[in-house]
Amino acid sequence: MTDIIKPAFISTASLSEATRSSLARLQGRLAVASQELSSGRHADIGEALGLRTGETVSLRQEHAGLTAIIDANGLVAARLDATQDSLEGIVDLAQRFLGSLIGAQGAEPAPRALVAEARTGLAALGDMLNASLDGQYLFAGLNADTKPLADYFASPPSANRAAIATAFTSAFSITQTDPAVATIDAAAMQSFLDTGFAAEFADPAWSANWSAAAAKNIQSRISRSERIETSTNVNEAPFRQLASALTMVADLGLADLNEGAAKALVATAVRQVGDAIGGLAGLQAALGVSQERVARANTRMSIQIDVMTTVITGLEAVDPAEAATRVSTLTQQIETAYALTGRLHRLSLLDFL
Amino acid sequence: MTLAIGLDVARSGLAVTSDQIATVSRNVARAGEADATRKIVQVVTGPGNGVRTAGWVRSADAALLDKVLAAASATGAQEEIARALGELSSATIGDPELERSPAALIARLEGALHQYATAPQDVARARLAVAAASDLAQRLNDATRAVTAIRERADEAMAASVATLNDLLGKFEVLNREVVGGTRRGADVTDALDARDGLLKQIAAEIGIRTVARADGDLAIYTDSGVTLFETRPRPVTFAPAPNLMPGASGAAVYVDGVPVVGTPVAMPAATGRLPGLAAVRDEITVTYQAQLDEIARGLIESFAEHEQSATPTLPPVTGLFTYPGAPALPPTGTLSAGLAGTIAVHPNVDPARGGDANRLRDGGISGNAAYVYNTTGAAGFAERLQGVIAELAAVRAFDPAAQAEPAASLARFASSSVSWLEGVRRTSSAEVEYQRTVRDRATEALSRDTGVNIDEEMARMLSLERAYQASSRLITVIDDMLGALLAAAA
Repeated sequence: MTDIIKPAFISTASLSEATRSSLARLQGRLAVASQELSSGRHADIGEALGLRTGETVSLRQEHAGLTAIIDANGLVAARLDATQDSLEGIVDLAQRFLGSLIGAQGAEPAPRALVAEARTGLAALGDMLNASLDGQYLFAGLNADTKPLADYFASPPSANRAAIATAFTSAFSITQTDPAVATIDAAAMQSFLDTGFAAEFADPAWSANWSAAAAKNIQSRISRSERIETSTNVNEAPFRQLASALTMVADLGLADLNEGAAKALVATAVRQVGDAIGGLAGLQAALGVSQERVARANTRMSIQIDVMTTVITGLEAVDPAEAATRVSTLTQQIETAYALTGRLHRLSLLDFL
Repeated sequence: MTLAIGLDVARSGLAVTSDQIATVSRNVARAGEADATRKIVQVVTGPGNGVRTAGWVRSADAALLDKVLAAASATGAQEEIARALGELSSATIGDPELERSPAALIARLEGALHQYATAPQDVARARLAVAAASDLAQRLNDATRAVTAIRERADEAMAASVATLNDLLGKFEVLNREVVGGTRRGADVTDALDARDGLLKQIAAEIGIRTVARADGDLAIYTDSGVTLFETRPRPVTFAPAPNLMPGASGAAVYVDGVPVVGTPVAMPAATGRLPGLAAVRDEITVTYQAQLDEIARGLIESFAEHEQSATPTLPPVTGLFTYPGAPALPPTGTLSAGLAGTIAVHPNVDPARGGDANRLRDGGISGNAAYVYNTTGAAGFAERLQGVIAELAAVRAFDPAAQAEPAASLARFASSSVSWLEGVRRTSSAEVEYQRTVRDRATEALSRDTGVNIDEEMARMLSLERAYQASSRLITVIDDMLGALLAAAA
């Protein structure tokens, strides 16, 4: 294999191979460039970003996570709004009832009208505390799937009504409907209200007869780091006080009581409703804080999402102007290559011999 | 007798010119072939008896050929690696926008858990969360299966490559014998040399080689690590393909002449060529990536593990939402459990599609053991367990460093670092392929440019040969005329 002396030389095969392979490469690049021009993103994100692909995947994870939280916060906010609405209604009810009680305390007692109002009030309280949203009882705490407050006027008589009746009978040896209630004096009535009757609205009787709610409230995670209470439940003191005041007016035979006992009863009811109104304001304020925190968390996360979208776009997008320039340059190059190939093939010594 | 000598010389000129014209036409006929070299007739002038054809040489360039061989080997290895990485990426990650990667599905599961935790009494949300978990388990199963398929394809390709190599070495032996014999006889061996160089290029694409030229045109081939592939006779290349490759297990090695050259672990590993490339795919890249998938599966099983709920727990933690054949015990923490990604599944007790109760995700006790129930009161709004799981998913845990991704990170972070690892390697390898191809193309072009046939040049030479032939013929005519004149004068 002796090497021979070579003049400046190019073989026919390498001449045509050169144009062929450069054409193939150019066409491949044109395909990529035109795809990028139409989609606005890198044709192959993984290859374009390499190690940084994990970054866009992480950002997308975070994006999906925050979107899910904001989505879920929609439900939290709706639940809080509905709870606030109900609380508003209950405050309204309490204030109207307080007005009537104070009216009754004044000159001319109208016990029958008051009893009737207390009865509808008790039923309305039950309705409002048993409000539900999307299958979830708002005032049930963790026991979100059970009706929190027992219906006082259910038939057959519910456990809470029966318990009140038993307490009354054991204190005075007569039923509430017995005309002999008129003989109960103020001191006896007051002592019953403070002990036997009050016990019905304290645990364990309350949770046995009245409430099916859990003492623990629902906690929701409203952002990556914040967990807040987003519900309240019927075991809270204001609800017990209101239920107690309504029940004593509605179902302790107020219409037939003597004046002293009636006065003692109404005075106790006024005190309890007053306390309840104060307590309800506290509950409303606490939930209001939660509402505000949800709103603020949403705003914050929306801003984060916007930033992430920008960063993801920054990573994955191609400059459309650059892509367009690339397409036109490549097109030009390919056309030139075609023309050159044609010329080269026409260029043959044979044509001149 | 000088006229007779002149006639002889002219006749020898005709003979040589015919040889040269024949060579030109051979050159032109093979002008389009990649391996063809230009053949040139060696002419010697004998004192007093004209010219004769001494032999044929070709325009070979050993240095350029070596470059082409090295470039072919390097490209062969990188192309296999880049192709496998591309397949891995498209089978398990795809476009991040499509959110098909395990990393994206983990985020989706977290989102579903979050939705569920906001309304734990909602069975529809429970089912959605379990469905997201099933999707994720299925995706991991599919991904690891795709990786195994790529491994097995690499193993099959190695078997095919070994068969090709043996076949090429067999053909090489025939041609080499022809070259050696022809050289000794003084015959024209240039075509055999061309064909032998062509075979070398094909062999180099399969495995990196070095060649050593010996007497009489004989050539010996060694792998780039120094193991004899061919010396007078081809050495057997052997390989036992594995019918199925378990995750984490290496495949068999390739032996040349009884010495392992490709596969792990090997004393004299061949560095370049398709075979080492395929072995890197089979025993390194896919094994690492599969380990990452296994670690993601282990992280999931751990994140959802349930703990005994009594005041003084004595029982070990057990698998929860995600289970595997070793359940209820948890896989050892912090170390790789090979094959986990292929067997991870959602526990049937929690999967409504298989008669389970999706609410167990909220309440705990998925394995069926009451000691692990978190929601002891059965409250429908109980979200503690779900919040706990969400926190576990976000917690930093240790991953086996052998997986080569983030060793201490949250599960989601680990999964995205696995994406980074794969795409990072892929990007490097694509760039390397691009570079190696360019080197190969340039080397091939340089070789072809220097040693190939240019038709124009051959035609020009044809013209001059034609003239030489005409001149020689003319000489014969003239001498004939002179001899005729001489004879006429003598008569």
